[in-house]
Amino acid sequence: MNVIEKLVGSLFSDVGVYDAIRVTLCMSVCSTLLSSAIGIALGLALERFSFPGKRIVVRVNRTLMGVPPVVVGLVVYMLIMRRGPLGFLGILFTVRGMILAQTLIITPIICGMTYSYAVKTAPAVRVFARTMGANRRQTSILLVREMKYELYFAMISGFGRSISEVGAVMLVGGNIKGNTRTMTTAIALLKSQGIFHEGLTLGLLLLVMAFVIQCLADFLRREVQEEENY
Amino acid sequence: MRKKFTAVLAVAAGVALMGSCVAAQEGAEEKGRLMMATTTSTADTGLLDYLAPLFLEDTGWELQWDAVGTGEALKMGENGDVDIVLVHAKASEEEFVENGFGVERFPVMYNDFIVVGPKEPIAATDDIEAVFTQITEDQLSFVSRGDDSGTDKKEKKIWAALELDPTSNEQYVESGQGMGATLTMADEMQAYCLTDRGTFLKLKKDADVSLELEIVCEGAKDLLNQYGVIAVNPEKYPEVNNEAANAFIEWICSDEVQELIGEFGVEEYGQALFTPNAGTDN
Amino acid sequence: MRTTEETRQSFAIRMRNVEKRIGEFQLKIEDLTLEEGRIHGFIGGNGSGKTTAAKLMMGILSPDAGTIERKDLGPRDITMTSQRPYLLHDTVYANLVYPLRVRGRKPEESQVRALLARFGLEDKAKQYARSLSSGEQQKLSMLRALIFEPRFLIIDETLSNMDPESVEQFEEMILDIQKKNPVTWVIISHRLSHVYRLCDRLHFFSRGSVLASGTGDEILFKSSEPEIRRFMSKEMIRSGSAES
Repeated sequence: MNVIEKLVGSLFSDVGVYDAIRVTLCMSVCSTLLSSAIGIALGLALERFSFPGKRIVVRVNRTLMGVPPVVVGLVVYMLIMRRGPLGFLGILFTVRGMILAQTLIITPIICGMTYSYAVKTAPAVRVFARTMGANRRQTSILLVREMKYELYFAMISGFGRSISEVGAVMLVGGNIKGNTRTMTTAIALLKSQGIFHEGLTLGLLLLVMAFVIQCLADFLRREVQEEENY
Repeated sequence: MRKKFTAVLAVAAGVALMGSCVAAQEGAEEKGRLMMATTTSTADTGLLDYLAPLFLEDTGWELQWDAVGTGEALKMGENGDVDIVLVHAKASEEEFVENGFGVERFPVMYNDFIVVGPKEPIAATDDIEAVFTQITEDQLSFVSRGDDSGTDKKEKKIWAALELDPTSNEQYVESGQGMGATLTMADEMQAYCLTDRGTFLKLKKDADVSLELEIVCEGAKDLLNQYGVIAVNPEKYPEVNNEAANAFIEWICSDEVQELIGEFGVEEYGQALFTPNAGTDN
Repeated sequence: MRTTEETRQSFAIRMRNVEKRIGEFQLKIEDLTLEEGRIHGFIGGNGSGKTTAAKLMMGILSPDAGTIERKDLGPRDITMTSQRPYLLHDTVYANLVYPLRVRGRKPEESQVRALLARFGLEDKAKQYARSLSSGEQQKLSMLRALIFEPRFLIIDETLSNMDPESVEQFEEMILDIQKKNPVTWVIISHRLSHVYRLCDRLHFFSRGSVLASGTGDEILFKSSEPEIRRFMSKEMIRSGSAES
């Protein structure tokens, strides 16, 4: 660990790159896990139940999938600022605040993807579960198991979105060195200092991370396709 | 039928969009454009919004600017990306000219830095050294910009002069953001902050959530913040608009415009945000 | 304790005045009674309502009108296999033992392997189920339906893509089971040869209703229904040409 810290430290000037990588990963992993729990449950529930206004909910969900993160950042900022309705939580300019914002950004994405996969998969699984005599709980578990690659894919999409986001994180986190500075906000700062080459190096590092995630997603997608082309 | 209608609508929208883009470009080309790199303070206070239309009226050049930190503004000049820079870091500016990137530096105006923060525990004073010492000794919250901007450099210089290590204070944080964002953070965190007066006054007046920060230190001699304007050297970058840059320098240093700068903000904030001093050797 | 005679006479499932509309298609069954412990064959052309009736029996679909009575049959006693069976994203083995897991029963590995071996699937236990050929997939789904010893079993065209040898093996297996422990079977097919030999009773479907019910000979050779006669003559020609 120390070697990595030194190596990273030697590559960059003092903008706290090592901490930024740590914060980025911590924030992205936490928000992805939270969003996955909420988004997958909501997506499956949306497929499972019909209720008046469901089509509108689905449409709103699709819209939120493309919401500019900086807008979410602004809304969250206003909620958790000292004189905001949730100011008492004291989570502005903390990683927890950033996780909240990221969760709000990613959840619709995971929910929407889960829903559209479930619409394709669930009817057949449900019929099958019936013929096998599975009860309600067993059917739900089976559905999640049968959709696992698709769900991983949705989670990876959410994670990719999370590590690359800058606007909301800047607003809510405040880009505090060593504390809430992420790789993306560090790049923004390096650019503002005119230190382009370090920003680019950090960007490349982010790109490598995105590439690894993309490979993982691709691998899963291929697996899904192969299964369908039997 | 419906499909056809949609298609027609889409094409019409596309054409209109293209038209508007072209029109916008033509408007800029007609009069000529002067591209400036400047610090966030001149933009955030609204000074440039106030001056640009007057400049257009007087000279026919359209002023456009990118407001960034002083470091980045000079970098943009070094790369020949802009025609002129208006910044406040005298030493860096002189180096910029010495290295042949700029033609000549002209002082334009100054504003001053102030320390803002909660009224307690630091009482209003003009002793900057006492304030900074107390912040470090009592481990008071302090938000630094930490972005290598003119303001940031100024702050670091004060710490250095006092031989204090600000990072020994656990409540000392670096925002890495512009002045406005940093002030908002300081307000949220009820922390102290070194800022230029202009940005603070503007934010105090205009922000939706009014700032609770107060001025705790002002009037110290070494808190002055001198702005200089430099045309990017056309010998280095022949494509820069040197004609417009020279026109701007001449215009902003004229008595008339200097007087306008001195009036800027008085009506709104009760005090001037900048003090003109063109022609001096600051 | 019921006597054998009583069991013979009682029914497993009875549909009364059942109606179900799916898009343009309308199913209307006045009375369809499936006696317990018998092998029933549903025959009829494509779109005649065989599968829809089966799904109603399974509870996969619910009727628009009418009643479906299931006698002593809980959701875990009945099952159905289809022409394109749903296979889990998992191995052949995991697919096969899934119904046991649902019932909280531990599969006995040697038994499961023996079952697979009987149908030539022993080398494929660890293979991904969806990579099997469609005939193998049908075999697997048949075994998966039989493994938990259901009391009511619908086989919907599942034998259609299988090699004749395997079909014969399954037919033997069905008759074996029937001797030991009578189960109520529904075998759906548009191929006469699959059902005629096995079934105690045939139910002829046409355009959404049951045209006739009875023994194989009653339906196929003694019926005066022109539609059944037409179906018969076509089947004769087909099986004749297939054998020559």
